[in-house]
Amino acid sequence: MTFTSQIGVMKHEDSTILNKYGKNPGFKVPENYFADFNQRMTEMLPDVEITPVDAKPTMWQRLKPLVYMAAMFAGVWCMMSVFSHFSTSSNLQSVRAVAEQLHDDNNLDELIMSGMVSDYDILSYEDSVMMSNEENISDEIEK
Amino acid sequence: MASHEKYDEAAIVEQLHDQRTCKAAFGKVIEHYSSQLYWQIRRMVIDHDDANDVLQNTFMKAWTNIDNFRGDAKLSTWLYKIAINESITFVNKKKVMNQLSLDDDESFLVNQLESDVWFDGDQAQINLQKAIASLPEKQRLVFNLRYYDEMKYDQMSEILGTSEGALKASYHHAVKKIEQFLGETE
Repeated sequence: MTFTSQIGVMKHEDSTILNKYGKNPGFKVPENYFADFNQRMTEMLPDVEITPVDAKPTMWQRLKPLVYMAAMFAGVWCMMSVFSHFSTSSNLQSVRAVAEQLHDDNNLDELIMSGMVSDYDILSYEDSVMMSNEENISDEIEK
Repeated sequence: MASHEKYDEAAIVEQLHDQRTCKAAFGKVIEHYSSQLYWQIRRMVIDHDDANDVLQNTFMKAWTNIDNFRGDAKLSTWLYKIAINESITFVNKKKVMNQLSLDDDESFLVNQLESDVWFDGDQAQINLQKAIASLPEKQRLVFNLRYYDEMKYDQMSEILGTSEGALKASYHHAVKKIEQFLGETE
């Protein structure tokens, strides 16, 4: 079947119904129904507020998205800088505190028993001490 | 008289967005679309009094939401959408009131037809309406819009939010089912 004949079939597929029953569904309306309806409907319309389409936006309305975007970026920048400041300082403080506590052998056993210092902390601390000692020795040899 | 004025949709849409002219412009919209919307609604709800109520609700809804209509779609498409939604809501509400299943369109619509004093069709027309009522809701809509209103598939697609291909297939199935129904009835 060609494309044209397929279209022909689509166009006339309802022709059997059309020929036999036509397009009048047998519905009717009272006399002057549409004229009366139009008048009645128009009269019953309540007042509504219409926003003019071509109303020029105010300066604030035009700048609002830019201001919001700038405020958002400023907020994100502030949050990141505060977060970065606290995370750096808290790391330094904790390293220093651990070092001070580990340096005192009296405290070390208590801290290990109470679980406040793990084996990993001790090994890390010892590694860092060893590395700093090695650096000192190599510096002295060079001198 | 207003009825003899030429209907210019672009001008009407512009007037609808002006506080001073919107009411008069909407009056012209009612005048222009009331008949075609009525027949579409009537074919969905069958009964004249019900169609009158649904048509009134359709225009009232359109008027109260006129500020949201920005002319992106055709006014006719927007109004048809509202009319179809109102018709479906109305039929479903009425079926619930009559304690019928929401799927039971056929018996409900046929009862509506037989009790409507504003129906004077012969037995053949009653049979055709029964056949249309036997279709699923979407197919019935597509059939009515295409067969009676000769609406183009692209406009139908905008109104019903379905692809043109699916609508053509839906119409094809509807025609076949109606022919089969009528063949069994006669």
